[in-house]
Amino acid sequence: MSSTSTAPPSSMAPSSVQVRNLSYFFGKGDLRKQVLFDISLDLFPGQIVIMTGPSGSGKTTLLTLIGALRSAHEGSLQVLNKELVGLGNRQLVEIRRNIGFIFQAHNLFESLTAAQNVEMAVELTGNFRGKRAQAVDILSQIGLAERADYKPGALSGGQKQRVAIARALVNQPQLILADEPTAALDKQSGRDVVTLMQHLAEEKGCTILMVTHDNRILDVADRIINLVDGRLESDASPQQFVDSHTTKALDQKMFIM
Amino acid sequence: MKRRRLKFPSLPRIPLAWYNLRHDRPRLLVAGAGVTFAVLLMFMNLGFLGALVSTTTNFYDQFNGDIFLISPQSLEISTTKAFPRDRLYQAAGIEGVKQVMPLYAEYALWKNPETNLSRAMFVYAFNPNDPVFLMPEFDTAEKRKALQQPNTTFIDRRSRPEFGPQTIGLETEADRRRVTVVGQYDLGGGFAADGTLIMSDQNFLRYFAPRPLDQVSLGLVLLEPGADAQRVKAALQAQLPADVEVYTKAEIILKESQYWIQTTSIGFIFGLGVLVSFVVGTVIVYQILYTDIRDHLREYATLKAIGYSGGYLFKTVIQEAILLALMGYVPGLILALGLYQLALNATAGTLPMKMTLFRVVFVFVLTVLMCALSGLISVRKAVTADPAEVFA
Repeated sequence: MSSTSTAPPSSMAPSSVQVRNLSYFFGKGDLRKQVLFDISLDLFPGQIVIMTGPSGSGKTTLLTLIGALRSAHEGSLQVLNKELVGLGNRQLVEIRRNIGFIFQAHNLFESLTAAQNVEMAVELTGNFRGKRAQAVDILSQIGLAERADYKPGALSGGQKQRVAIARALVNQPQLILADEPTAALDKQSGRDVVTLMQHLAEEKGCTILMVTHDNRILDVADRIINLVDGRLESDASPQQFVDSHTTKALDQKMFIM
Repeated sequence: MKRRRLKFPSLPRIPLAWYNLRHDRPRLLVAGAGVTFAVLLMFMNLGFLGALVSTTTNFYDQFNGDIFLISPQSLEISTTKAFPRDRLYQAAGIEGVKQVMPLYAEYALWKNPETNLSRAMFVYAFNPNDPVFLMPEFDTAEKRKALQQPNTTFIDRRSRPEFGPQTIGLETEADRRRVTVVGQYDLGGGFAADGTLIMSDQNFLRYFAPRPLDQVSLGLVLLEPGADAQRVKAALQAQLPADVEVYTKAEIILKESQYWIQTTSIGFIFGLGVLVSFVVGTVIVYQILYTDIRDHLREYATLKAIGYSGGYLFKTVIQEAILLALMGYVPGLILALGLYQLALNATAGTLPMKMTLFRVVFVFVLTVLMCALSGLISVRKAVTADPAEVFA
């Protein structure tokens, strides 16, 4: 574990994500329903932050707001030093290009090979000349070099998820957002995936925000944020989190600490 | 990071549209077959329409006239209102006119000597001394002499077999009067007539009495070499009263084509055929594209999530549509060429199904339009894919 505190690794480092008094509503008029209440939060480079909470607590909503996939209306939301509140659709698309997304499902094009799926992300940077090399390079980093020219149909679940991760990482984003990245994977594959993400956070100094219910991987977190009913309930190190939650839901034996 | 324009053609984008189409081979095959079918239907409808138009007018190629006089009340060659022969004599006085020739036309009932059943036969009549027809059979003095015998006629080899044998020397009845076949020629009756006869004006008098020869169905005007057809036409129009209209050969062909296309149901029927083919093709392509988008909605949403714009997805779907158009068009064209030949053979050359460059281009444009249209209808779903949905 590189850090067990919620403080930034270096006190001077600027935050990758700065959330201030963020509220969010679904629906309009009488059907308007508040799902996020006055969230304030900072995420720093090099941190792996796990967000937990019961379903319906607003985790995914917060994740999609930070990922510029929805437009925020109230409060302030700065991602990679850009204020997202009030941005138009086109500007949000630009922001998204600097964020790596990992989804619960791999969402790979069945018609493209692993390398081509990764290249789709590289093409966003305009790098057509080196896209193949870049894709193969990242695939070999995650141990899939020899599978580069296989289509998803010929890959195992874990391999597909790793290709999806390669797609998220290939442009070396400063921020990675992951939604249940291990949910569809068995224990070993899931562990491989989070180890890989851990390395990235350490080596490239990027910020990783992960929503997960998977207790097996809580140990990789530098911080654990708990969201309940749209409010930030706790923000703690994994040990503190485990201590305060063990009696309720978590099994200490799940952790490899 | 701004996307830069593609600099090297050797380093293209991943052709996602092509890969997506290619991925599901059976579906691609069905889609291609659907477009091919629509293309084929369009070609056949236009082919029949074109053949109709050319059969209704291709006999003009055998008429030896540069300018034609016809009554304004005539609709086309088989429904003419006669006009006074004096108009021809008046026309003969105009500068640049070399020769004027009357042509008479009527329907007669031709009895099949084998079945004794009578059918309507279209009859042209002319003065055998006038070079009215360009067919080689009318070129010899011997043949002209045969025409001048009483109760004789030439018969069109392209007349339908229901008229019975067409051998020279055959005797049968036309309008209840004995007639002897003394010659043959190739002309074709178009859609208005199943068969044609050509006889002398004197015989015409015998068969169609009391119709006089001073009432002409069509006037043929031959010009002096070097005379300007438009100028002579203008002079004729200025000189002649309003009971005749003046057309150059190209103009009268156009006029008759338009009659068949616009003022009869024939043009409408085949036009509707093209439209229906177009709609069928649109629906087929729409189905294919819509299914494709629905199946890939998560992937498309993912592309939007990682920073692709709606415009990229729009382009991808339209590319798929255009690719389908190309893949369906080429086999459609080849099949149509084969079927044209088949139709030509089946009708013994009387239905001149010919592929024209205009039609090749026109159907291609329609096909691209058809696919682009279905692309546009189905693309909305991809473009509006909510990138936040993929997290749900």
